[in-house]
Amino acid sequence: MKEITYINPVLLIAVPLALAFIIPILKFVWEKSIKWIPVAGFLFDLIVSITLIPIVLQKNIIVKIGGTTTPFSINLVVGPAGLLLSIMISLAGFLVAIYALKYIQEGDKTKYHILFMLLLTGAIGVVLTGDIFNLFVFFEVLCISSYALVGYLGNRAGIESSIKYLIQGSIGSSLLLVGIGLIYGQYGTLNMADLAAQIKTADSISLFVPMFFMITGLGIEAAIFPLNSWLPDAHSSAPSSISAVLSGIAIEVGLYAMMRILFTIFAAESFMGFLLFLGVITLLIGEMSAFSQNNIKRMLAYSSIGQIGLIVFAFSIATASGLSGGFFQMISHTLNKALLFLATGFMIYRTGSMEISSFRGLGKKMPLTALFFTIGTFSIIGLPPFVGFASKFLIFKAALAKQELLFIILIAVIILTTVIEGAYFFRIIQTLYFKESDDKSSKQESAITALIPMFIFALLILILGIYPNWIMKFIHSAASELLNKMSYLRSVLG
Amino acid sequence: MKKFFSLILLIIIVVGMIYTIHQIPFGKNQSKIGKYFVANGKDETGAANIVTSVVVGYRSFDTLGEVTVLFLAAIGLGAILTTTKKQNHDIEKASLILNTGCRFLFPLVLLFSAYIFIHGHLSPGGGFQGGAVVASGFLLIYLACPGKRINKVGNTISESVGGLIFIILGAIGLFVGDRYFLANFLPKGELNTLFSAGIIPIIYIALGFKVGSELNSVIDKMMEES
Repeated sequence: MKEITYINPVLLIAVPLALAFIIPILKFVWEKSIKWIPVAGFLFDLIVSITLIPIVLQKNIIVKIGGTTTPFSINLVVGPAGLLLSIMISLAGFLVAIYALKYIQEGDKTKYHILFMLLLTGAIGVVLTGDIFNLFVFFEVLCISSYALVGYLGNRAGIESSIKYLIQGSIGSSLLLVGIGLIYGQYGTLNMADLAAQIKTADSISLFVPMFFMITGLGIEAAIFPLNSWLPDAHSSAPSSISAVLSGIAIEVGLYAMMRILFTIFAAESFMGFLLFLGVITLLIGEMSAFSQNNIKRMLAYSSIGQIGLIVFAFSIATASGLSGGFFQMISHTLNKALLFLATGFMIYRTGSMEISSFRGLGKKMPLTALFFTIGTFSIIGLPPFVGFASKFLIFKAALAKQELLFIILIAVIILTTVIEGAYFFRIIQTLYFKESDDKSSKQESAITALIPMFIFALLILILGIYPNWIMKFIHSAASELLNKMSYLRSVLG
Repeated sequence: MKKFFSLILLIIIVVGMIYTIHQIPFGKNQSKIGKYFVANGKDETGAANIVTSVVVGYRSFDTLGEVTVLFLAAIGLGAILTTTKKQNHDIEKASLILNTGCRFLFPLVLLFSAYIFIHGHLSPGGGFQGGAVVASGFLLIYLACPGKRINKVGNTISESVGGLIFIILGAIGLFVGDRYFLANFLPKGELNTLFSAGIIPIIYIALGFKVGSELNSVIDKMMEES
């Protein structure tokens, strides 16, 4: 067989990590360059991830680290699912880093850029690793940088929600660690494929308890009801660029880790019925709470809870088409929510207020930003021809294919939440375009470094909405990789 | 009612945990990877200390992640603490005996810490432990001699360079020998001598500096606030 050369995927983690370590030195040498470091790091990651696509579509790449003997040393498993998320993470990281060039003006900027890089590096580590303790370590990297970034602005609300998030997040991490410890004690191995080979079903109590701990721990980060009380505060008091990655990336990574553990290690199909309901409840509660908000960032944060509920629902259908819908919804949520938060960031900057009522007339004053915001809202509600329509459609199709009354009822509930979603988002659109502003100040658009990433997000939303087939092959193989435990095992253990 | 439900939940968790822990064969040498490490650790990594062969050999990627967590914790603390208001209040001067004693002990503490992280591959200890001892030396000075501060530039540089050495050594492994990240590409040397175990002692020295400076910066922040 011909050996294909490719760039070692471990560099996706090592390069941003090394760049993050360089930033403190750069502060003394060449301070102006610091804000370009995340841009460079994630551009590198994006390019490398994209070049890996053709290889990964054929077979998983197993990257050995620190030793060559498989269950004893750590390895990364770069499959379609992990790579898909790693592309999303580096894309969002790259674009949000460009946005932050102008947006981040206050506070200790060096720290912001280090924390931002490490947050996403941790996320990439979580999605690529094939070792459950390594997953925990990168999960901690992700979480600790989020705690610090939530309190970055240093105002009272920020610190308060940061501490709240810290306490709940630490409980989550501890539960995850206890779960991993119990599993390790019983099976004496930490490699996910090796564990999966030894665990046949999750029916016994001694397996259910660690699984419960791990799911609860990851559920806090993934913001699944009833573990999500930290999210609205945390996501609304962070700087908008951080809210974009927290909503668009961090919670999805938590959810992916949860699904990886459930599908690959425990093969817990029986647990999925429970998650199905949790997903729909999360969706319903998220959207209903969002409806009653007047603060735009809180509204978007609650909408993220709703969206994560929808993704949980899609994954819990536990068929190949359900998982495809889930992955597609993840992509669409990352694009939509990042775009919405980025647009909101400069709208808040302009008006100096997070109240929706203060956005009156912004459609005339910031036409492009308002246009991008509108595209984001249309897509998140699920209007064609935007990507949100394609992903929601896929989920409905997957659920209806089950042909059970239960799914039809749940779909009805989801359609109801879409109506709620439409109601509160159209209220903002109305405020933006059809209400006259009191002050007659002139037109003032967002900074150009903010408009470019918003434009790219909007363009992707439109392109993927019109031509979803371009990525469907990749999404289908991601779904079948996550669903098919045996092929994962074979690829790692040989 | 709330308390009652909490109690029920707690009881369920405790019973579940006890049951699960009961399944774990404690005290018996049954762990698959444990056996492998004990049998092959010395030969494969060249480190006489089995714990080190696991921490910086087989699972060195985790160690890299853990250093990053510590790095993050130091930075995150700084990001949150520097924003709160500072209060200046006088610190009483330490007595002559304390002052002299601490200054006498300081170099000895540093020497001991260097011993711990340089011999990490031979005897118990290593980069994390050595770094913690370094920080305890600096803490002593902070407590005994108010007004003295660490050199922040030097501290930051040793912190960053320590982390970079770890990653660069790992990346070199991609190009030599078996071509994997964090491969031990240097000669393993004779077991149980100072110059053995390839890249492990170098990583441990880098870690000692990195962990020491990270904890120093945490101490510095905390002392500033108090």
